[in-house]
Amino acid sequence: MHLIQRFKLESILLPVAAILVCGLFWYLIAGKSITTEKVDEFGDKIKVTKREGLSADLPTPGETWTASRLYITEPFAKRGELDQGILRFTWMSLVLVAQGYFIALVIGTPIGFFLGLSKKFTQAFDPLIQVLRPVSPLAWLPLGMILFSGVKFVNSDGRTTFGASDAAALFTIAICAMWPTVMNTAVGVRAVPQDYLNVAKVLKLSKSRTLWKVLVPATLPYMFTGFRLSLGIAWLVIVAVEMLTGRPGVGGFLWQQYNANSYAHIILCILTIGVVGYVLDRLMSVVESRFKTA
Amino acid sequence: MPLIEIKGASKGFGGKGSRSEILKDINLSIEQGEFVVIVGYSGSGKSTLINLISGLVKPDSGVATIAGETITGPGPDRGLVFQNYSLLPWLTVEENIALAVDEVFKDWTPEQRKEHVKKFITMVKLGHASHKLPKELSGGMRQRVSVARTLAMNPKVLLLDEPLSALDALTRAQIQDEISEIWRENLTTVLWITNDPDEALLLADRVIPLLPTAPATLGEPILVDLERPRDRRTLNHDPKFKKLRSQLIGTLLDAKGRNKVKSAVHVTLPDILPEDLTTVNSLQFLNRSGPKRRGDNKREEVEVAA
Repeated sequence: MHLIQRFKLESILLPVAAILVCGLFWYLIAGKSITTEKVDEFGDKIKVTKREGLSADLPTPGETWTASRLYITEPFAKRGELDQGILRFTWMSLVLVAQGYFIALVIGTPIGFFLGLSKKFTQAFDPLIQVLRPVSPLAWLPLGMILFSGVKFVNSDGRTTFGASDAAALFTIAICAMWPTVMNTAVGVRAVPQDYLNVAKVLKLSKSRTLWKVLVPATLPYMFTGFRLSLGIAWLVIVAVEMLTGRPGVGGFLWQQYNANSYAHIILCILTIGVVGYVLDRLMSVVESRFKTA
Repeated sequence: MPLIEIKGASKGFGGKGSRSEILKDINLSIEQGEFVVIVGYSGSGKSTLINLISGLVKPDSGVATIAGETITGPGPDRGLVFQNYSLLPWLTVEENIALAVDEVFKDWTPEQRKEHVKKFITMVKLGHASHKLPKELSGGMRQRVSVARTLAMNPKVLLLDEPLSALDALTRAQIQDEISEIWRENLTTVLWITNDPDEALLLADRVIPLLPTAPATLGEPILVDLERPRDRRTLNHDPKFKKLRSQLIGTLLDAKGRNKVKSAVHVTLPDILPEDLTTVNSLQFLNRSGPKRRGDNKREEVEVAA
Protein backbone atom coordinates (compact mmCIF):
# COMPACT_ATOMS: atom_id res chain seq x y z
CA MET A 1 0.00 0.00 0.00
CA HIS A 2 2.74 2.34 1.07
CA LEU A 3 4.74 1.37 -1.97
CA ILE A 4 1.83 2.05 -4.32
CA GLN A 5 1.31 5.49 -2.80
CA ARG A 6 4.96 6.30 -3.21
CA PHE A 7 4.96 5.05 -6.76
CA LYS A 8 1.95 7.18 -7.67
CA LEU A 9 3.42 10.18 -5.95
CA GLU A 10 6.65 9.77 -7.89
CA SER A 11 4.91 9.26 -11.19
CA ILE A 12 3.22 12.64 -10.70
CA LEU A 13 5.90 14.55 -8.85
CA LEU A 14 8.81 13.73 -11.11
CA PRO A 15 7.18 14.88 -14.37
CA VAL A 16 5.96 18.04 -12.64
CA ALA A 17 9.47 18.71 -11.40
CA ALA A 18 10.88 18.21 -14.90
CA ILE A 19 8.29 20.60 -16.36
CA LEU A 20 9.15 23.21 -13.72
CA VAL A 21 12.86 22.91 -14.47
CA CYS A 22 12.24 23.36 -18.20
CA GLY A 23 9.90 26.29 -17.48
CA LEU A 24 12.56 27.92 -15.36
CA PHE A 25 15.14 27.47 -18.10
CA TRP A 26 12.66 28.99 -20.57
CA TYR A 27 12.09 31.92 -18.23
CA LEU A 28 15.82 32.48 -17.85
CA ILE A 29 16.63 32.63 -21.54
CA ALA A 30 13.46 34.52 -22.49
CA GLY A 31 13.56 38.29 -23.06
CA LYS A 32 12.17 40.54 -20.36
CA SER A 33 10.62 43.94 -20.89
CA ILE A 34 12.54 46.54 -18.95
CA THR A 35 10.96 49.94 -18.60
CA THR A 36 13.22 52.85 -17.82
CA GLU A 37 12.31 56.46 -17.34
CA LYS A 38 14.39 59.00 -19.11
CA VAL A 39 14.23 62.58 -20.14
CA ASP A 40 13.95 63.24 -23.84
CA GLU A 41 15.37 66.20 -25.73
CA PHE A 42 12.26 68.31 -25.02
CA GLY A 43 12.80 67.84 -21.31
CA ASP A 44 9.75 65.57 -20.85
CA LYS A 45 9.90 62.43 -18.80
CA ILE A 46 9.10 59.41 -21.01
CA LYS A 47 9.03 55.70 -20.43
CA VAL A 48 11.15 53.59 -22.70
CA THR A 49 10.49 49.84 -22.91
CA LYS A 50 13.31 47.64 -24.09
CA ARG A 51 13.51 43.87 -24.27
CA GLU A 52 16.62 42.35 -22.88
CA GLY A 53 17.76 38.83 -22.33
CA LEU A 54 19.57 35.92 -23.93
CA SER A 55 16.85 35.61 -26.54
CA ALA A 56 15.29 39.01 -26.48
CA ASP A 57 12.26 38.27 -28.68
CA LEU A 58 11.28 35.04 -26.90
CA PRO A 59 8.28 35.74 -24.67
CA THR A 60 8.41 34.56 -21.07
CA PRO A 61 6.00 31.87 -19.83
CA GLY A 62 3.88 34.57 -18.22
CA GLU A 63 3.69 36.66 -21.36
CA THR A 64 2.82 33.57 -23.36
CA TRP A 65 -0.06 32.82 -21.05
CA THR A 66 -1.35 36.40 -21.13
CA ALA A 67 -1.25 36.49 -24.92
CA SER A 68 -2.77 33.03 -25.36
CA ARG A 69 -5.47 33.22 -22.71
CA LEU A 70 -8.17 34.34 -25.09
CA TYR A 71 -7.47 31.41 -27.45
CA ILE A 72 -7.60 28.87 -24.66
CA THR A 73 -10.52 30.20 -22.65
CA GLU A 74 -12.64 30.56 -25.77
CA PRO A 75 -11.32 27.54 -27.65
CA PHE A 76 -14.14 27.42 -30.20
CA ALA A 77 -14.57 31.14 -30.91
CA LYS A 78 -14.39 32.35 -34.48
CA ARG A 79 -13.34 35.96 -34.75
CA GLY A 80 -12.02 35.78 -38.27
CA GLU A 81 -10.69 33.30 -40.82
CA LEU A 82 -7.25 33.27 -39.21
CA ASP A 83 -8.23 34.32 -35.70
CA GLN A 84 -10.06 31.46 -34.07
CA GLY A 85 -10.00 29.52 -30.80
CA ILE A 86 -7.17 27.03 -30.59
CA LEU A 87 -9.38 23.95 -30.46
CA ARG A 88 -11.29 25.17 -33.50
CA PHE A 89 -8.01 25.32 -35.38
CA THR A 90 -7.04 21.92 -34.02
CA TRP A 91 -10.33 20.47 -35.16
CA MET A 92 -9.77 21.78 -38.71
CA SER A 93 -6.32 20.22 -38.78
CA LEU A 94 -7.65 16.96 -37.38
CA VAL A 95 -10.33 16.73 -40.07
CA LEU A 96 -7.73 17.13 -42.78
CA VAL A 97 -5.42 14.63 -41.07
CA ALA A 98 -8.26 12.13 -40.77
CA GLN A 99 -8.97 12.35 -44.49
CA GLY A 100 -5.34 12.00 -45.52
CA TYR A 101 -4.75 9.25 -42.96
CA PHE A 102 -7.74 7.32 -44.24
CA ILE A 103 -6.38 7.48 -47.79
CA ALA A 104 -2.97 6.36 -46.51
CA LEU A 105 -4.44 3.29 -44.80
CA VAL A 106 -6.67 2.36 -47.74
CA ILE A 107 -3.72 2.49 -50.13
CA GLY A 108 -0.96 1.39 -47.76
CA THR A 109 -2.49 -1.77 -46.31
CA PRO A 110 -3.03 -3.59 -49.63
CA ILE A 111 0.45 -2.57 -50.81
CA GLY A 112 1.81 -4.03 -47.57
CA PHE A 113 -0.06 -7.27 -48.21
CA PHE A 114 1.29 -7.54 -51.74
CA LEU A 115 4.82 -6.88 -50.46
CA GLY A 116 4.43 -9.51 -47.77
CA LEU A 117 2.88 -12.15 -50.00
CA SER A 118 4.84 -11.88 -53.22
CA LYS A 119 8.61 -12.06 -53.41
CA LYS A 120 8.56 -10.81 -56.99
CA PHE A 121 6.46 -7.80 -56.02
CA THR A 122 8.90 -7.02 -53.22
CA GLN A 123 11.88 -7.29 -55.54
CA ALA A 124 10.20 -5.01 -58.04
CA PHE A 125 8.95 -2.30 -55.70
CA ASP A 126 11.21 -2.37 -52.68
CA PRO A 127 13.93 -0.08 -54.13
CA LEU A 128 11.27 2.39 -55.25
CA ILE A 129 9.66 2.42 -51.82
CA GLN A 130 12.98 2.80 -50.06
CA VAL A 131 13.74 5.82 -52.21
CA LEU A 132 10.35 7.49 -51.81
CA ARG A 133 10.03 6.78 -48.08
CA PRO A 134 12.51 9.36 -46.76
CA VAL A 135 11.20 12.22 -48.93
CA SER A 136 10.06 15.15 -46.81
CA PRO A 137 6.47 16.41 -46.91
CA LEU A 138 7.87 19.78 -47.93
CA ALA A 139 9.05 18.16 -51.14
CA TRP A 140 5.84 16.29 -51.88
CA LEU A 141 3.53 19.27 -51.54
CA PRO A 142 4.67 21.20 -54.65
CA LEU A 143 4.39 17.99 -56.65
CA GLY A 144 0.86 17.57 -55.34
CA MET A 145 0.05 21.12 -56.42
CA ILE A 146 1.19 20.30 -59.95
CA LEU A 147 -0.55 16.92 -60.03
CA PHE A 148 -3.88 18.29 -58.92
CA SER A 149 -3.66 21.75 -60.47
CA GLY A 150 -6.92 21.14 -62.35
CA VAL A 151 -8.92 20.16 -59.27
CA LYS A 152 -11.58 22.72 -58.40
CA PHE A 153 -14.97 22.12 -56.85
CA VAL A 154 -17.12 25.23 -56.59
CA ASN A 155 -20.26 25.50 -54.47
CA SER A 156 -23.38 27.49 -55.39
CA ASP A 157 -21.94 30.77 -54.07
CA GLY A 158 -19.03 30.48 -56.46
CA ARG A 159 -16.59 29.76 -53.63
CA THR A 160 -14.07 27.02 -54.05
CA THR A 161 -14.83 24.21 -51.59
CA PHE A 162 -12.07 21.86 -52.65
CA GLY A 163 -9.19 23.21 -54.69
CA ALA A 164 -5.74 22.22 -55.84
CA SER A 165 -4.17 23.07 -52.49
CA ASP A 166 -6.65 20.87 -50.62
CA ALA A 167 -5.97 17.98 -52.96
CA ALA A 168 -2.24 18.55 -52.67
CA ALA A 169 -2.52 18.62 -48.88
CA LEU A 170 -4.35 15.29 -48.81
CA PHE A 171 -1.89 13.82 -51.28
CA THR A 172 1.06 14.90 -49.15
CA ILE A 173 -0.38 13.55 -45.91
CA ALA A 174 -1.36 10.28 -47.55
CA ILE A 175 1.94 9.64 -49.27
CA CYS A 176 4.03 10.54 -46.22
CA ALA A 177 1.92 8.70 -43.67
CA MET A 178 1.56 5.58 -45.79
CA TRP A 179 5.02 4.05 -45.31
CA PRO A 180 4.86 2.75 -41.73
CA THR A 181 1.60 1.01 -42.58
CA VAL A 182 3.10 -0.46 -45.75
CA MET A 183 6.27 -1.68 -44.05
CA ASN A 184 4.62 -3.05 -40.91
CA THR A 185 1.89 -4.84 -42.83
CA ALA A 186 4.51 -6.42 -45.08
CA VAL A 187 6.57 -7.55 -42.09
CA GLY A 188 3.43 -8.84 -40.38
CA VAL A 189 2.36 -10.87 -43.40
CA ARG A 190 5.84 -12.39 -43.68
CA ALA A 191 5.75 -13.21 -39.97
CA VAL A 192 2.52 -15.22 -40.12
CA PRO A 193 3.51 -18.57 -38.56
CA GLN A 194 3.92 -21.39 -41.06
CA ASP A 195 1.62 -23.45 -38.83
CA TYR A 196 -1.36 -21.25 -39.62
CA LEU A 197 -0.60 -21.40 -43.31
CA ASN A 198 -0.32 -25.20 -43.07
CA VAL A 199 -3.74 -25.27 -41.41
CA ALA A 200 -5.13 -23.26 -44.31
CA LYS A 201 -3.46 -25.65 -46.75
CA VAL A 202 -4.65 -28.82 -45.03
CA LEU A 203 -8.20 -27.49 -44.73
CA LYS A 204 -7.97 -26.44 -48.38
CA LEU A 205 -9.27 -22.98 -47.57
CA SER A 206 -9.98 -20.86 -50.62
CA LYS A 207 -7.74 -17.86 -51.33
CA SER A 208 -10.19 -15.31 -49.98
CA ARG A 209 -10.97 -17.33 -46.86
CA THR A 210 -7.25 -17.81 -46.20
CA LEU A 211 -6.86 -14.05 -46.49
CA TRP A 212 -9.74 -13.10 -44.20
CA LYS A 213 -9.66 -15.98 -41.73
CA VAL A 214 -5.91 -16.51 -41.41
CA LEU A 215 -3.71 -13.81 -42.91
CA VAL A 216 -5.57 -10.67 -41.84
CA PRO A 217 -6.17 -11.72 -38.21
CA ALA A 218 -2.59 -12.93 -37.88
CA THR A 219 -1.26 -9.66 -39.30
CA LEU A 220 -3.57 -7.31 -37.34
CA PRO A 221 -1.15 -6.61 -34.45
CA TYR A 222 1.55 -5.56 -36.91
CA MET A 223 -0.92 -3.56 -38.97
CA PHE A 224 -2.02 -1.58 -35.93
CA THR A 225 1.55 -0.78 -35.00
CA GLY A 226 1.88 0.59 -38.52
CA PHE A 227 -1.38 2.50 -38.19
CA ARG A 228 -0.18 4.13 -34.99
CA LEU A 229 3.14 5.21 -36.49
CA SER A 230 1.30 6.45 -39.60
CA LEU A 231 -0.99 8.61 -37.50
CA GLY A 232 2.02 10.17 -35.80
CA ILE A 233 3.52 11.04 -39.18
CA ALA A 234 0.22 12.35 -40.55
CA TRP A 235 0.05 14.74 -37.61
CA LEU A 236 3.64 15.85 -38.24
CA VAL A 237 2.93 16.46 -41.90
CA ILE A 238 -0.20 18.50 -41.35
CA VAL A 239 1.73 21.38 -39.78
CA ALA A 240 4.15 21.60 -42.69
CA VAL A 241 1.30 21.38 -45.18
CA GLU A 242 -0.71 24.10 -43.50
CA MET A 243 2.31 26.36 -43.27
CA LEU A 244 2.95 26.03 -46.99
CA THR A 245 -0.63 26.31 -48.19
CA GLY A 246 -1.81 28.85 -45.63
CA ARG A 247 -4.89 26.80 -44.79
CA PRO A 248 -6.53 27.72 -41.51
CA GLY A 249 -5.48 25.22 -38.86
CA VAL A 250 -2.89 24.92 -36.12
CA GLY A 251 0.03 25.01 -38.54
CA GLY A 252 -1.45 27.84 -40.59
CA PHE A 253 -2.12 29.84 -37.44
CA LEU A 254 1.44 29.26 -36.30
CA TRP A 255 2.95 30.56 -39.53
CA GLN A 256 0.62 33.55 -39.68
CA GLN A 257 1.46 34.54 -36.09
CA TYR A 258 5.15 34.26 -36.88
CA ASN A 259 4.68 36.65 -39.78
CA ALA A 260 2.66 38.93 -37.48
CA ASN A 261 5.51 38.99 -34.93
CA SER A 262 3.15 37.48 -32.37
CA TYR A 263 5.64 35.06 -30.93
CA ALA A 264 3.68 33.97 -27.89
CA HIS A 265 1.14 32.27 -30.14
CA ILE A 266 3.85 30.20 -31.77
CA ILE A 267 4.57 28.62 -28.42
CA LEU A 268 0.86 28.09 -27.86
CA CYS A 269 0.68 26.28 -31.23
CA ILE A 270 3.73 24.15 -30.52
CA LEU A 271 2.32 23.03 -27.19
CA THR A 272 -1.07 22.31 -28.76
CA ILE A 273 0.48 20.26 -31.55
CA GLY A 274 2.52 18.30 -29.02
CA VAL A 275 -0.39 17.60 -26.71
CA VAL A 276 -2.71 16.58 -29.54
CA GLY A 277 -0.04 14.32 -31.02
CA TYR A 278 0.47 12.71 -27.63
CA VAL A 279 -3.25 12.14 -27.14
CA LEU A 280 -3.59 10.63 -30.62
CA ASP A 281 -0.69 8.28 -29.95
CA ARG A 282 -2.16 7.17 -26.62
CA LEU A 283 -5.55 6.55 -28.22
CA MET A 284 -4.00 4.47 -30.97
CA SER A 285 -1.90 2.44 -28.57
CA VAL A 286 -5.03 1.61 -26.58
CA VAL A 287 -6.63 0.33 -29.78
CA GLU A 288 -3.40 -1.44 -30.68
CA SER A 289 -3.12 -3.25 -27.37
CA ARG A 290 -6.65 -4.56 -27.79
CA PHE A 291 -5.55 -6.35 -30.94
CA LYS A 292 -2.23 -7.48 -29.49
CA THR A 293 -3.97 -10.00 -27.30
CA ALA A 294 -5.68 -11.65 -30.26
CA MET B 1 -5.80 -52.74 -51.84
CA PRO B 2 -4.20 -50.76 -49.01
CA LEU B 3 -5.70 -47.35 -48.32
CA ILE B 4 -2.36 -45.60 -48.16
CA GLU B 5 0.76 -46.70 -49.89
CA ILE B 6 4.22 -45.20 -50.14
CA LYS B 7 6.52 -46.81 -52.66
CA GLY B 8 10.27 -46.21 -52.79
CA ALA B 9 9.98 -42.64 -51.57
CA SER B 10 13.00 -40.58 -50.64
CA LYS B 11 13.27 -36.97 -49.62
CA GLY B 12 16.07 -34.53 -48.91
CA PHE B 13 16.25 -30.84 -48.15
CA GLY B 14 18.62 -28.08 -49.08
CA GLY B 15 20.35 -27.21 -52.31
CA LYS B 16 23.64 -28.39 -53.69
CA GLY B 17 26.46 -28.47 -51.17
CA SER B 18 24.37 -28.26 -48.02
CA ARG B 19 21.96 -30.95 -49.09
CA SER B 20 20.92 -33.50 -46.49
CA GLU B 21 18.94 -36.62 -47.29
CA ILE B 22 16.19 -37.20 -44.72
CA LEU B 23 14.33 -40.27 -45.90
CA LYS B 24 15.45 -43.07 -48.19
CA ASP B 25 13.59 -45.89 -49.82
CA ILE B 26 10.45 -45.67 -47.71
CA ASN B 27 7.88 -48.40 -48.34
CA LEU B 28 4.73 -48.33 -46.30
CA SER B 29 1.21 -49.56 -46.75
CA ILE B 30 -1.68 -49.01 -44.40
CA GLU B 31 -4.93 -50.95 -44.63
CA GLN B 32 -8.37 -49.49 -44.18
CA GLY B 33 -9.22 -49.25 -40.46
CA GLU B 34 -5.72 -49.98 -39.28
CA PHE B 35 -3.99 -48.13 -36.42
CA VAL B 36 -0.34 -47.75 -37.37
CA VAL B 37 2.22 -46.02 -35.17
CA ILE B 38 5.65 -44.99 -36.37
CA VAL B 39 8.24 -44.60 -33.62
CA GLY B 40 11.52 -42.84 -34.08
CA TYR B 41 14.06 -40.52 -32.57
CA SER B 42 13.48 -36.78 -32.59
CA GLY B 43 14.73 -35.19 -35.76
CA SER B 44 14.95 -38.48 -37.64
CA GLY B 45 12.42 -37.45 -40.30
CA LYS B 46 9.13 -38.56 -38.77
CA SER B 47 7.36 -35.32 -39.60
CA THR B 48 8.69 -35.42 -43.14
CA LEU B 49 7.32 -38.92 -43.50
CA ILE B 50 3.83 -37.98 -42.36
CA ASN B 51 3.90 -34.89 -44.51
CA LEU B 52 4.52 -37.08 -47.56
CA ILE B 53 1.03 -38.40 -46.90
CA SER B 54 -0.54 -35.12 -45.83
CA GLY B 55 0.77 -33.59 -49.05
CA LEU B 56 2.68 -30.74 -47.43
CA VAL B 57 5.91 -32.35 -48.67
CA LYS B 58 6.43 -33.95 -52.06
CA PRO B 59 8.79 -36.92 -52.39
CA ASP B 60 11.93 -36.48 -54.51
CA SER B 61 11.47 -39.95 -55.89
CA GLY B 62 8.82 -42.62 -55.46
CA VAL B 63 5.11 -42.07 -54.93
CA ALA B 64 2.61 -41.76 -52.14
CA THR B 65 -0.94 -42.81 -52.93
CA ILE B 66 -4.27 -42.74 -51.15
CA ALA B 67 -6.94 -45.14 -52.37
CA GLY B 68 -4.84 -45.70 -55.48
CA GLU B 69 -4.53 -42.00 -56.35
CA THR B 70 -1.21 -40.19 -56.24
CA ILE B 71 -1.00 -37.54 -53.54
CA THR B 72 -0.09 -34.19 -55.06
CA GLY B 73 -1.11 -31.76 -52.32
CA PRO B 74 -2.97 -31.40 -49.04
CA GLY B 75 -6.62 -32.33 -48.97
CA PRO B 76 -9.46 -32.82 -46.54
CA ASP B 77 -9.45 -36.61 -47.07
CA ARG B 78 -6.26 -36.75 -44.97
CA GLY B 79 -6.85 -35.10 -41.63
CA LEU B 80 -3.62 -33.85 -40.09
CA VAL B 81 -3.33 -33.16 -36.37
CA PHE B 82 -0.35 -30.92 -35.71
CA GLN B 83 2.13 -31.33 -32.90
CA ASN B 84 1.55 -27.78 -31.69
CA TYR B 85 -2.25 -27.89 -32.17
CA SER B 86 -2.18 -25.02 -34.70
CA LEU B 87 -5.53 -23.66 -33.64
CA LEU B 88 -6.20 -20.16 -34.90
CA PRO B 89 -5.93 -18.07 -31.73
CA TRP B 90 -8.51 -15.48 -32.82
CA LEU B 91 -11.26 -18.06 -33.30
CA THR B 92 -13.21 -19.81 -30.54
CA VAL B 93 -13.28 -23.60 -30.25
CA GLU B 94 -16.54 -23.68 -32.18
CA GLU B 95 -15.26 -21.33 -34.91
CA ASN B 96 -12.02 -23.24 -35.30
CA ILE B 97 -13.93 -26.42 -36.00
CA ALA B 98 -16.52 -24.62 -38.11
CA LEU B 99 -13.72 -23.25 -40.30
CA ALA B 100 -12.92 -26.82 -41.36
CA VAL B 101 -16.53 -27.98 -41.56
CA ASP B 102 -17.69 -25.00 -43.64
CA GLU B 103 -14.92 -25.62 -46.11
CA VAL B 104 -15.41 -29.36 -46.51
CA PHE B 105 -19.20 -29.57 -46.45
CA LYS B 106 -20.05 -26.60 -48.63
CA ASP B 107 -23.28 -28.10 -49.90
CA TRP B 108 -24.79 -28.60 -46.45
CA THR B 109 -27.26 -26.19 -44.89
CA PRO B 110 -25.89 -23.96 -42.11
CA GLU B 111 -28.00 -25.90 -39.57
CA GLN B 112 -26.51 -29.21 -40.67
CA ARG B 113 -23.01 -27.81 -40.38
CA LYS B 114 -23.70 -26.35 -36.97
CA GLU B 115 -25.05 -29.68 -35.78
CA HIS B 116 -21.97 -31.43 -37.16
CA VAL B 117 -19.63 -29.05 -35.33
CA LYS B 118 -21.56 -29.57 -32.12
CA LYS B 119 -21.36 -33.34 -32.47
CA PHE B 120 -17.58 -33.30 -32.60
CA ILE B 121 -17.22 -30.80 -29.76
CA THR B 122 -19.30 -33.19 -27.65
CA MET B 123 -17.22 -36.13 -28.83
CA VAL B 124 -14.04 -34.60 -27.39
CA LYS B 125 -15.96 -33.55 -24.26
CA LEU B 126 -15.55 -29.81 -24.72
CA GLY B 127 -19.22 -28.81 -24.77
CA HIS B 128 -18.70 -26.45 -21.85
CA ALA B 129 -15.82 -24.65 -23.58
CA SER B 130 -17.18 -24.23 -27.10
CA HIS B 131 -17.12 -20.41 -26.88
CA LYS B 132 -13.69 -20.13 -25.39
CA LEU B 133 -10.57 -18.98 -27.20
CA PRO B 134 -7.64 -21.41 -27.46
CA LYS B 135 -5.58 -19.34 -25.02
CA GLU B 136 -8.17 -20.00 -22.32
CA LEU B 137 -7.76 -23.76 -22.68
CA SER B 138 -5.14 -26.11 -21.27
CA GLY B 139 -2.76 -27.93 -23.58
CA GLY B 140 -4.75 -31.14 -23.44
CA MET B 141 -8.00 -29.35 -24.25
CA ARG B 142 -6.36 -27.59 -27.18
CA GLN B 143 -5.16 -30.86 -28.62
CA ARG B 144 -8.66 -32.27 -28.23
CA VAL B 145 -10.02 -29.32 -30.22
CA SER B 146 -7.41 -30.00 -32.86
CA VAL B 147 -8.45 -33.66 -33.03
CA ALA B 148 -12.12 -32.66 -33.22
CA ARG B 149 -11.37 -30.20 -36.01
CA THR B 150 -9.62 -32.91 -37.97
CA LEU B 151 -12.19 -35.62 -37.35
CA ALA B 152 -15.02 -33.25 -38.26
CA MET B 153 -13.77 -33.24 -41.84
CA ASN B 154 -14.57 -36.97 -42.01
CA PRO B 155 -11.11 -37.79 -43.32
CA LYS B 156 -10.30 -41.19 -44.79
CA VAL B 157 -7.23 -41.27 -42.60
CA LEU B 158 -6.25 -39.46 -39.45
CA LEU B 159 -2.61 -38.38 -39.44
CA LEU B 160 -1.21 -37.39 -36.05
CA ASP B 161 2.25 -35.84 -35.91
CA GLU B 162 3.52 -36.31 -32.33
CA PRO B 163 0.16 -35.06 -31.11
CA LEU B 164 0.84 -35.45 -27.39
CA SER B 165 4.50 -34.55 -27.08
CA ALA B 166 3.74 -31.09 -25.67
CA LEU B 167 1.56 -32.48 -22.87
CA ASP B 168 2.39 -33.65 -19.38
CA ALA B 169 2.47 -37.41 -18.78
CA LEU B 170 -0.91 -37.71 -17.06
CA THR B 171 -2.82 -35.66 -19.63
CA ARG B 172 -0.99 -37.64 -22.25
CA ALA B 173 -2.29 -40.93 -20.93
CA GLN B 174 -5.81 -39.57 -20.73
CA ILE B 175 -5.84 -38.32 -24.30
CA GLN B 176 -4.23 -41.51 -25.58
CA ASP B 177 -7.16 -43.39 -24.14
CA GLU B 178 -9.64 -40.90 -25.55
CA ILE B 179 -8.28 -41.03 -29.07
CA SER B 180 -8.03 -44.79 -28.89
CA GLU B 181 -11.70 -44.88 -27.92
CA ILE B 182 -12.68 -42.50 -30.71
CA TRP B 183 -10.81 -44.72 -33.16
CA ARG B 184 -12.64 -47.87 -32.01
CA GLU B 185 -16.01 -46.11 -32.31
CA ASN B 186 -15.39 -44.53 -35.71
CA LEU B 187 -13.07 -47.12 -37.22
CA THR B 188 -11.10 -44.54 -39.12
CA THR B 189 -7.61 -45.36 -40.31
CA VAL B 190 -4.95 -43.80 -38.10
CA LEU B 191 -1.30 -43.10 -38.72
CA TRP B 192 0.26 -41.89 -35.51
CA ILE B 193 3.80 -40.63 -35.13
CA THR B 194 5.54 -40.58 -31.78
CA ASN B 195 8.87 -40.83 -30.05
CA ASP B 196 7.45 -42.82 -27.14
CA PRO B 197 7.67 -46.65 -27.52
CA ASP B 198 5.12 -47.23 -24.72
CA GLU B 199 2.61 -44.95 -26.38
CA ALA B 200 3.16 -46.80 -29.64
CA LEU B 201 2.57 -50.27 -28.19
CA LEU B 202 -0.41 -49.10 -26.19
CA LEU B 203 -2.24 -47.73 -29.20
CA ALA B 204 -1.15 -49.53 -32.31
CA ASP B 205 -2.13 -52.57 -34.32
CA ARG B 206 1.25 -52.32 -35.92
CA VAL B 207 4.33 -50.39 -34.85
CA ILE B 208 6.95 -49.45 -37.40
CA PRO B 209 10.29 -48.16 -36.14
CA LEU B 210 11.89 -45.37 -38.13
CA LEU B 211 15.57 -46.19 -37.94
CA PRO B 212 17.96 -43.29 -37.44
CA THR B 213 20.27 -44.25 -40.23
CA ALA B 214 21.25 -41.29 -42.36
CA PRO B 215 19.04 -41.00 -44.33
CA ALA B 216 16.36 -42.69 -42.24
CA THR B 217 14.68 -45.91 -43.33
CA LEU B 218 11.76 -47.90 -41.98
CA GLY B 219 12.51 -50.99 -39.93
CA GLU B 220 10.63 -54.27 -39.68
CA PRO B 221 7.05 -53.71 -38.49
CA ILE B 222 6.08 -55.18 -35.12
CA LEU B 223 2.56 -56.58 -34.89
CA VAL B 224 0.91 -55.70 -31.60
CA ASP B 225 -1.69 -58.40 -30.99
CA LEU B 226 -2.75 -57.27 -27.54
CA GLU B 227 -6.40 -57.42 -26.53
CA ARG B 228 -8.43 -54.24 -26.83
CA PRO B 229 -9.41 -52.22 -24.87
CA ARG B 230 -5.95 -52.06 -23.40
CA ASP B 231 -5.62 -51.10 -19.78
CA ARG B 232 -2.35 -49.35 -19.13
CA ARG B 233 -2.24 -50.54 -15.52
CA THR B 234 -2.41 -54.26 -16.24
CA LEU B 235 -0.47 -53.91 -19.47
CA ASN B 236 2.69 -52.99 -17.60
CA HIS B 237 2.81 -56.51 -16.16
CA ASP B 238 1.72 -58.33 -19.30
CA PRO B 239 4.64 -60.54 -20.42
CA LYS B 240 3.64 -60.14 -24.07
CA PHE B 241 3.74 -56.36 -23.75
CA LYS B 242 7.09 -56.51 -22.01
CA LYS B 243 8.50 -58.70 -24.78
CA LEU B 244 7.22 -56.39 -27.51
CA ARG B 245 8.60 -53.40 -25.72
CA SER B 246 12.07 -54.83 -25.33
CA GLN B 247 11.98 -55.89 -28.97
CA LEU B 248 11.00 -52.39 -30.12
CA ILE B 249 13.42 -50.56 -27.89
CA GLY B 250 16.14 -53.02 -28.87
CA THR B 251 15.55 -52.34 -32.55
CA LEU B 252 15.72 -48.59 -32.05
CA LEU B 253 18.83 -48.69 -29.85
CA ASP B 254 20.64 -51.13 -32.13
CA ALA B 255 20.00 -48.90 -35.11
CA LYS B 256 21.35 -45.93 -33.20
CA GLY B 257 24.44 -47.92 -32.19
CA ARG B 258 25.11 -49.12 -35.70
CA ASN B 259 24.86 -45.63 -36.98
CA LYS B 260 28.38 -44.64 -35.96
CA VAL B 261 30.05 -42.10 -38.19
CA LYS B 262 32.16 -43.63 -40.92
CA SER B 263 34.38 -40.88 -42.21
CA ALA B 264 36.19 -41.25 -45.51
CA VAL B 265 37.64 -37.76 -45.71
CA HIS B 266 41.29 -37.40 -46.60
CA VAL B 267 42.71 -35.17 -43.91
CA THR B 268 45.60 -32.85 -44.63
CA LEU B 269 47.26 -31.18 -41.68
CA PRO B 270 47.91 -27.47 -42.01
CA ASP B 271 51.31 -26.62 -43.38
CA ILE B 272 51.85 -23.37 -41.50
CA LEU B 273 54.56 -22.62 -38.99
CA PRO B 274 53.61 -20.59 -35.95
CA GLU B 275 54.30 -16.88 -36.12
CA ASP B 276 57.30 -15.67 -34.15
CA LEU B 277 55.54 -13.33 -31.77
CA THR B 278 58.73 -11.60 -30.62
CA THR B 279 58.85 -9.84 -33.99
CA VAL B 280 55.25 -8.65 -33.85
CA ASN B 281 56.15 -5.26 -32.41
CA SER B 282 59.16 -4.75 -34.63
CA LEU B 283 59.23 -3.30 -38.12
CA GLN B 284 60.33 -6.67 -39.38
CA PHE B 285 56.78 -7.86 -38.93
CA LEU B 286 55.47 -5.36 -41.49
CA ASN B 287 57.39 -6.75 -44.45
CA ARG B 288 56.78 -10.41 -43.83
CA SER B 289 55.28 -12.06 -46.89
CA GLY B 290 52.40 -14.21 -45.74
CA PRO B 291 52.51 -17.19 -43.44
CA LYS B 292 55.64 -19.30 -43.24
CA ARG B 293 55.17 -22.84 -44.42
CA ARG B 294 57.06 -25.93 -43.45
CA GLY B 295 57.70 -26.51 -47.14
CA ASP B 296 59.61 -23.18 -47.27
CA ASN B 297 62.17 -24.38 -44.78
CA LYS B 298 65.13 -25.62 -46.72
CA ARG B 299 66.69 -27.12 -43.66
CA GLU B 300 64.99 -27.96 -40.46
CA GLU B 301 66.94 -28.72 -37.37
CA VAL B 302 65.26 -30.42 -34.54
CA GLU B 303 67.00 -30.44 -31.20
CA VAL B 304 66.37 -33.43 -29.10
CA ALA B 305 67.14 -33.31 -25.41
CA ALA B 306 69.45 -36.14 -24.58
